[in-house]
Amino acid sequence: MPSWSSFQPFIPIGLALGGVYALSGVGMVVLYRATGVLNLAYGAIGAMGAMISWSMINNAGVPQGWAYVVAILTGGFLTLLYGTIFGSVLAARDPLVKAVATLGFALILLGVMTLLWSNSNITRSITFSTDESTAFTLSAVSVSWTQVLAFAFGLLVAVGATIFLRVTKIGTAMRALADDREITATLGVPVRRVEAAAWFGSGLIAGISGLLLADLDTLDPSTLTFLVIFTVAAALIARLRSITLTFVAAVVIGLVDNLVTPINSITNYRDMTPFVLAIIALLFFARGRQYSFARGGIR
Amino acid sequence: MEATGVVTRVGSSVRVSRGEGIQLAVIAALLVFVLVGLPQLLSLFWIDTSTSAVVYAVAALGVGLLVGRVGMVSLGQVAVLALGAWVGAKFCLSTSLPYPIVLLMSGLITMVLGVLIGLPALRVSGLYLALVTLMLAGAITVVLTVTNFPNGGKGFLGYDENYPGTIRRPSIATSDPAFFRYSVIVAVVMFALVVWHLRSKPGRAWAAIRQSEPAALTAGVNVTLYKMWAFALASFVTGVAGGLLGSGAGKLYTFQFPTSQSVILFAVVLMGGIYTVWGAVLAGVLLWVLPALFTIWGIDSQLPTILFGIGVLQVLTTAPAGIAYQFPRDMAKLGKLLYRLVRRFTPSASGAS
Amino acid sequence: MIEIKNLTVHFGGVIPLDDLSLTFESGTCGLIGPNGAGKTTFFNVLSGFVSPTSGSVTAYGDDLLSMAHYRRARWGLRRTFQTEQAIEELSIYENVAMIHEHSSSSRSTRRTDVLGAIDFVGLEPNPNSKVMTLGARDRRLVEIARAVVGKPRVVLLDEPAAGLPDEETEHLGSVIQAIPGHMGALVILVDHDMSLVSACCAKTAVLDFGALIASGPTAEVLRDERVMRAYLGTEAV
Repeated sequence: MPSWSSFQPFIPIGLALGGVYALSGVGMVVLYRATGVLNLAYGAIGAMGAMISWSMINNAGVPQGWAYVVAILTGGFLTLLYGTIFGSVLAARDPLVKAVATLGFALILLGVMTLLWSNSNITRSITFSTDESTAFTLSAVSVSWTQVLAFAFGLLVAVGATIFLRVTKIGTAMRALADDREITATLGVPVRRVEAAAWFGSGLIAGISGLLLADLDTLDPSTLTFLVIFTVAAALIARLRSITLTFVAAVVIGLVDNLVTPINSITNYRDMTPFVLAIIALLFFARGRQYSFARGGIR
Repeated sequence: MEATGVVTRVGSSVRVSRGEGIQLAVIAALLVFVLVGLPQLLSLFWIDTSTSAVVYAVAALGVGLLVGRVGMVSLGQVAVLALGAWVGAKFCLSTSLPYPIVLLMSGLITMVLGVLIGLPALRVSGLYLALVTLMLAGAITVVLTVTNFPNGGKGFLGYDENYPGTIRRPSIATSDPAFFRYSVIVAVVMFALVVWHLRSKPGRAWAAIRQSEPAALTAGVNVTLYKMWAFALASFVTGVAGGLLGSGAGKLYTFQFPTSQSVILFAVVLMGGIYTVWGAVLAGVLLWVLPALFTIWGIDSQLPTILFGIGVLQVLTTAPAGIAYQFPRDMAKLGKLLYRLVRRFTPSASGAS
Repeated sequence: MIEIKNLTVHFGGVIPLDDLSLTFESGTCGLIGPNGAGKTTFFNVLSGFVSPTSGSVTAYGDDLLSMAHYRRARWGLRRTFQTEQAIEELSIYENVAMIHEHSSSSRSTRRTDVLGAIDFVGLEPNPNSKVMTLGARDRRLVEIARAVVGKPRVVLLDEPAAGLPDEETEHLGSVIQAIPGHMGALVILVDHDMSLVSACCAKTAVLDFGALIASGPTAEVLRDERVMRAYLGTEAV
């Protein structure tokens, strides 16, 4: 078992990544609560935004700040596009169908990204100016501002979303939608508009997390697309309901995944961590086989 | 009692009606063509592609069985295929058992593994089950990157970086065309096995489970048992298919079985049609023939992935039963439309316009 | 005979069944009550989908609650649901045969038993026709056939007449009445159609708010003031 000092370097990155997983996890959970859609294309959308901004910076010479804004907006608009077209069409279907549909969307995005940016000789990367600047040092381990930002963002959005859902009109409407779409519509709530807000908002979050992951991890469409599994694991542990739980679970997942690195006996299997965590989440936390006994019989 | 197009049981024999008799004749004719004619017509490239298509059609059959018959979405069947391939390669290289036994072992061991892994997964259903299968596939894929496939090396894992061992083929079918024929026959056996299940007690129980689990329980169906049975059967046929894969390619690499492939397999099964057995054949063709055609025509290799994504969306929003279900109906509608048009424009005997 | 003793069900703050005790002796028995009285919950307890907080159900001397739900069918419990549950993609024959092959009846008599049940309910279409081609009336009859095939001991019918026009209800009534004599089973009929209940059931029990409020000969029960009050909710009748 490695010593404490070998674990130390992995704590900041673990927390930072955990913060990003929390960020996207919140986006995912809010969307699920408002629309019943578990957006498995989340990673792909973020990746698309990141790739577009990379293209703008490196091929078109666009200043970083603007490119990142474009990335975030791309996330928002792509998600909104999907939600407008397929969200309403599939609104009455089972969550399984809705989730599989997002998988279809993910395949399309992945294909397009690999098509457009297929030249893998080039190492692409996104680096923020805050990457090199040290925020503080904790017993010989330096923590960059990016890492602090990532964690802070996650925390901020988690808190913000909780307040938003409780306090604002749209937020309350979203919570009502989660309970019953039909009744909410009859109450005069503009269901389509509220859903659009949920789609767009979660899309913006996808854009932000795509950028952060591209910086903290790698800028590779495939990798970024599949990082969504960490997010899904966190969201599942929170039973797709609690934002607080999503945040905590995501941070723990980020930490565990990174802290495993120095343990030599299992480090080759490190990539299994998100899958194992997700399976644990699914089998132990997300149980819910229910027979409905409402009038009208079964199911 | 006369039979009007369905199987009638009389005592212990099974009488097949005219409609089904014609279907069987068509299938037999097609089979003869594929076995005899096709290998003569195709180039080596296409024979290899077709062999892969055949193998994946069997895997698609497993997926279709789970989704279409029992309502269980498995997004991890390529990992099951990889397991079968691993077992098949191991037996081929480490033993000199006759090839059919090797395939049988691939099927049986994969079946056991499938059931063991599937058992806890049965506690969840719907979306969560789908996610569990996806995660399991991911986990298995990672393990495979560490253990690799057997290639003649020593030890249990049988992997040697430098060893250029080749996975053998059945002694009666060593050439590519011959192996293609062999694969087709194995596939037909697998399809027959599944169809036999569908026509008898398990098939009826699965139909009940898919429609309503509580109603099935009330009817006395041990739902857990029959779900496991479906899992076992799907794993078995997929395992056998995996066994064929190793011999087809001679060597196996982990990158041939990425997790995304499981998602794509599910996509093509959805497109091909989950309610008919032909849908599985169509899925295999979509998965292998389409990209091969694109490569020959110089179209980008990413286009199939994009098309499959679009296909998933299309199927889910408009034709939930898939192309194999929808196509004959669409064709029938088209036929009726054409008939009406022809009627309109040909002068009738009574002179009406 | 079925004996229910002190059956209580708690369901997320609601108490659908409250210390229910009643006995069904033989023949066709009615079970009525206003919406929400607990009739479907009662059936669900018998079927095994709901676990009671307390109480017991003894049928023909066997403790029903100790059996897993799918085993109760093997024991001889049959049930229809308010929504159609006949399997659409299978034929009439296959639908009924399925019940038979999962019950304790032997394989050798399957064909006669299945055709006999189909005949008994008066299904006219070819037994090989798929259920999805049938209309509402025939689908209902398929469900009844499924409920009576083999050697059922207890048949639970949950609103079999719902949505059917009067003529069909009459035919249904005659079929239901004949079940105990023909198959030797105890039938519990839940329905809102009082004429059906009067025609079929010699005795009827009435539930309200999860408790038994009346039981006895059907005609008397239907005239009972408490029963009318439960349905109409008024004090003076």
